[in-house]
Amino acid sequence: MNETGQSGISKFTGNLKTLADSFTSSVFRGGKPSSDKARASVIYNNFFMHIQGVKTHINTLRPSYTLGMGLIALFLFLIVVASGIFLMVYYNPSLENAFKTVKNINNVVFGGKVARNVHKWAGEGMIVFLFLHMARVFFTSSYKAGREFNWLIGIVLLILTFALNLTGYLLPWDQLSYWATVIVSNIMMSPKELTDSLGLTKFFDVGTFTTDFVFAGLNPGKESLNRIYLFHVMLLPIVISVFVGIHFWRIRKDGGLTKPEDFSVRNSDIGYVLEPDKTSGIFPTHKTYGLMELAKGKTPAVDKDIENTVMSWPNLLIAELAVLMVTLAGVLIYSYYIDAPLKEMANALIPENPAKAPWYFLGLQELLSYSAFMGGVGLPSAALLGLALIPYLDREQYKVGVWFTDSTGKKIAVESFIISVIVIIGMLVFAVNFGWLRNWFPEIPQLVITLINPGSIWVGFMILWSLFVIKRTGSTRMGAMALFVMFLVSYVILTYFATEMRGPNWGFYWSKSQWPIH
Amino acid sequence: MHSRFYLSLLLISGLLVISYLGLTAYHAVMPEWKYYQAEYKDLVVKNAKDDATRKRAMAMTLGFKQVYLKDLKREDRCINCHAGVDNPLMEGAKVPFKKHSGNYLVNHPVDKFGCTVCHDGQSFATNEKEAHGKGHETHWDYPILPLKYVQSSCAQCHDFNMLAKNGGEKVAKGEELFREKGCKGCHKIDGVGGDIGKALDGVGNQPIAYFPMKHVIGERTVFNWLKQHFVDPRALVAESAMKVKLAAGEDDLLTTYALSLKSEEMPKKYRRINYANPPKYDGEALYKMYCSACHEDGDKTIYDEVFKRTVPAIKNPSLLRTMNDANMDVIVKEGRAGTQMTAWKSSAAGLSDEQIKEIIGYLALKRPAEQHEPFGLAAFTGDVKHGKEVYEVNCSVCHGKDAKGGENLLGISLRSPVVQKKIDTELLAVTIADGRAGTSMPPFIKDSEVLTKQDVADVVAFIKEFPSAAK
Repeated sequence: MNETGQSGISKFTGNLKTLADSFTSSVFRGGKPSSDKARASVIYNNFFMHIQGVKTHINTLRPSYTLGMGLIALFLFLIVVASGIFLMVYYNPSLENAFKTVKNINNVVFGGKVARNVHKWAGEGMIVFLFLHMARVFFTSSYKAGREFNWLIGIVLLILTFALNLTGYLLPWDQLSYWATVIVSNIMMSPKELTDSLGLTKFFDVGTFTTDFVFAGLNPGKESLNRIYLFHVMLLPIVISVFVGIHFWRIRKDGGLTKPEDFSVRNSDIGYVLEPDKTSGIFPTHKTYGLMELAKGKTPAVDKDIENTVMSWPNLLIAELAVLMVTLAGVLIYSYYIDAPLKEMANALIPENPAKAPWYFLGLQELLSYSAFMGGVGLPSAALLGLALIPYLDREQYKVGVWFTDSTGKKIAVESFIISVIVIIGMLVFAVNFGWLRNWFPEIPQLVITLINPGSIWVGFMILWSLFVIKRTGSTRMGAMALFVMFLVSYVILTYFATEMRGPNWGFYWSKSQWPIH
Repeated sequence: MHSRFYLSLLLISGLLVISYLGLTAYHAVMPEWKYYQAEYKDLVVKNAKDDATRKRAMAMTLGFKQVYLKDLKREDRCINCHAGVDNPLMEGAKVPFKKHSGNYLVNHPVDKFGCTVCHDGQSFATNEKEAHGKGHETHWDYPILPLKYVQSSCAQCHDFNMLAKNGGEKVAKGEELFREKGCKGCHKIDGVGGDIGKALDGVGNQPIAYFPMKHVIGERTVFNWLKQHFVDPRALVAESAMKVKLAAGEDDLLTTYALSLKSEEMPKKYRRINYANPPKYDGEALYKMYCSACHEDGDKTIYDEVFKRTVPAIKNPSLLRTMNDANMDVIVKEGRAGTQMTAWKSSAAGLSDEQIKEIIGYLALKRPAEQHEPFGLAAFTGDVKHGKEVYEVNCSVCHGKDAKGGENLLGISLRSPVVQKKIDTELLAVTIADGRAGTSMPPFIKDSEVLTKQDVADVVAFIKEFPSAAK
């Protein structure tokens, strides 16, 4: 055993002395990389990093291309998880304690108020940045060239994010959350309007079933708090993590982010990348394949454009780290100055007037005020279906990775923007001033209103306008462009309108200061 | 250096993260109350009279404090700022370090009662604005009580007899006023009282949203609403039927009492009320409590501006002469349908038979010795058909064509179950014949001889036919 003549004890003390070094090198195998080979192995030997390519295309690193939106959404999710675990330590989902523990988090827990604000704002920020990310992906045609299914997974993630935010909204058990949940449970009940008017309710009451399933009853109460808590801290985070994993895995398998075919390096790119180390390393700048870039099929990375890639370590990682830090700073500063709302304890006897859903559903609530079914189920389903179908109905594979495709695209986007702003504001002004069918013909059957209301007319207009654009330009991409711009504009305008201009009894007010005092 | 863009982004945002984390930690380490505690410590050191006290004061540590009220299941954190509340050295100090006035804390030690039990405010909160709960943006329904109303809290645990003598004079006086002004004539408490106004159970800790705050002057609090509604009810609630005749200052006393009507009972450990012997009131006191709001002193008929009808004089000798105790008992118990007079029986407005007897006994004191002349209805057979004609000519003007009484009609409803079933016909006949002095009901035989005795008997028969006749 003792071949070198060294005593066992001195070997042991030797190992003890080098403990720190050997531990470090066991974790960071290879130490700080000093060659491209080492830089490559950092990426593919690390569990968290191997989902990224060893080399990254320069286009990906240009902040003006991705705007970092998807990454910000991911980091917001991580912030939400971290702050959420912190809050879970103190929160108790029971009728007696829920409100009280939230008060205690605000008042007594060390840094609790900021932690709660961070949790709230980062969670709602996820929605904002998911929309912005979706817009970026759409306007750069990044749902094409093998990425069609990933677009669908993105939509699943959007829905899950809505669900995650909504379930969190109930937990403080204050007036705001209670009555918002009442509204949402009403939205869930809204298929009843259609099944009632078709006489199907007695066979399958889908509205009641889903509401009962989600809220453990038709109104928020003791059991719903427990169930919603389970959804919020267990089920949804796990499901969303799985889907995030798939989403990222597919980006990797699709050869990274999209990039324009006629990509060329610009002088300004030097601001974003570190030049490859030419003196040491195994990869020539003009190599033909990368270790982790061997993928099946006609994915764009194979054999193409290899000269415009740089090492992911450190180029990509520093960019990611910067985005993480920017996200953290943004959330922290916002949370430092703006408190998450906490109203009186929930009281089923005192309805909030107006009772409003969380802001991200207020656009729906505005449509809901015309027709419960269309606002609650019909139109959101149509919108999600429309978004999901975009990559399958627009299969033109040119100019992928270029913002707004070309000059026609820009023109169509601006045109659709202006037209949709005018039409949707006009529609709201009309509905506020003159009312709708129910006001003119009180006896009218509900089914007619379910089918003909400002919401459905707007969707019909969007579809017709996109078909008109397709006919005029001869391009399905342009039709999709028109449709998507109009969708975003209507979401933003309806949300703003319902948030700021709807007061007690869903009446119209120019500002909150005009609301009548109860 | 390359990758300038991301590196500088990283640097700037990293600095921001560090500084804002630092700020957050700073606020967590130095919350608002800690400054107060530090100031308090300096004050105690300065005020210390001997070295031992000074030494103890120097050794005082600043830290979070709360009183956990086990039976009330709540934490009370006011002492973080109001640190000198039970320190005799702080007698002349300024708020919030001042010692509690009086000797209330002797029997109500802070570690058992906390502060919000008596003073309201938000016991969870740890900063001044939220703890005092003033203003809409604090979202707290029970802002700190103005000192003039604080005695309302005493009544949670103490009875009014005790309070009247031992530092709860205001709330005890309020309770007395409440009885004497006849508030329960319209408002129920614990199921006893009239039903023109709202039941007052728990009004003292109802959320602000229960009150129509639109016309309240000043801050929108429950106590401001109560006070202003005692001064001018219709200024706050246009359709209110409430009558108020209060002397200056009585509004505050009544507000104090109203605030003491809380829905949540204090745990037994705190209570000092002896429920075994509820106070007993005599006929006169009961008359004031339940009748005087409408009938006032009962000597003359009043035209009520709010009700738009006359309120009969129930101590009027002519009425008392016609009506025996049994008939009065029926009317008090069953009320007058179609008027503001509610049914006072125990299953409705909640007066016990004994209390009603007391009240009638009190009214009967005014009954003249001589009895009314008996009508002798039994000697006549009523003719319904002729009775109808007589009714239409003589009675329908005031009692209405359908005999239901109602708005703008002076007469009562003759179709009410009381008239139909409970009152004996002899009383009806006597009333028609003799009229009711002091009311709009004229005599139809006595003095005037408009009708004959047979006519009266016919009308009585006609009135009694209502239930069987078609409308």
